[in-house]
Amino acid sequence: MPSDIKLRAKIRRYDPSVDAEPHYETYEVAGKDNWRVLDVIRSVYEHQAGDLAYQFACRAGRCGTCAVKVNGVPVLACQERCKPEMRIEPLTPFPVLRDLVVDRTEVEARYEKHALTPQRATEYAGGPEAIEPKLAEELCHMDSCLACMVCVSGCPAVAERAFDGPAFMLKLRHMAKHPVDTGNRLEQAIDAGMLECFGCDLCTQLCPADLSPAQAIREFRREMIFGGSAKHE
Amino acid sequence: MSKTALPRNTTRQAEAMLYGEAARKLHRVSGAVIILFVLVHVIVQAVRHAPIFATANAAAPWLQALQEQNWVHAILFFCIAFHTFYGLKLLAGELGFRLHYKTAFWAVVIVSALIGLREVLRYAGI
Repeated sequence: MPSDIKLRAKIRRYDPSVDAEPHYETYEVAGKDNWRVLDVIRSVYEHQAGDLAYQFACRAGRCGTCAVKVNGVPVLACQERCKPEMRIEPLTPFPVLRDLVVDRTEVEARYEKHALTPQRATEYAGGPEAIEPKLAEELCHMDSCLACMVCVSGCPAVAERAFDGPAFMLKLRHMAKHPVDTGNRLEQAIDAGMLECFGCDLCTQLCPADLSPAQAIREFRREMIFGGSAKHE
Repeated sequence: MSKTALPRNTTRQAEAMLYGEAARKLHRVSGAVIILFVLVHVIVQAVRHAPIFATANAAAPWLQALQEQNWVHAILFFCIAFHTFYGLKLLAGELGFRLHYKTAFWAVVIVSALIGLREVLRYAGI
């Protein structure tokens, strides 16, 4: 049985139309110990701060909409269990629209720039195209990226260097492995700063979809060193 | 990345140790310690052995004692081992060897700590 607990949530508030600088407000919440961070945020919104901006959709860890930083670590708010003391902030390094909501314009622009759909050499002939079951399974798994930007927010290389981020590398690798894609994904990855990655695997640890963008980067680097193509792996 | 998996249990992610963060910082600190040691070592050896620095050497009798401290050796050997093994781990990953980040981190830390500990034991005559 979940037991009652008192929670203290320190939430970063910022409304660019009103505030000159972001500030933190602390809220005391009476909750249950099995609450998720999102439950706490919703409670604050419903009972204490009706003007708090935040976003969520599925509440099941499948959409990636509710990603925030809790005590400095990027997480999905709907999955992360609440803590007695929490500092809740919007994802970095994205511009903040208001409170916990970040502007994803740059993210969407990068996805568009990388043309992350298979670039065919010839017109689609119609009908199903044969694909190795093992490869199909792998592609399907790589396609389960939520685009939540948790990995990008946690990545130290993104913070320090000109690097688009692990999520984009994963999607580029996904396309590189796709049998009908003819785009030069390795070159795209290099242009997007793949070589700046520290190989620390923080993205692997943080990814809510159990993916490994770091492994995708390592595979790209291996391809760069030894040549060959992702299509034949 | 070969299995299809539902999102894993991420309920305590903010409480977990961030292995990549720890490894990256330790790698940088250990690299800085090695560079610092080499610089200090060159200067100290010059002071201790070059006739031109004889006066400075006489004024700093603790230099000899400092370089015989077991903890100095332990830290230095840990840093050299960690920096080397973690660097090799990164290289191995890029050459195609798949190493789990958590296992690799602890393996490198434990091996490096044992190498550092060996210095302490050596000074203790064990």
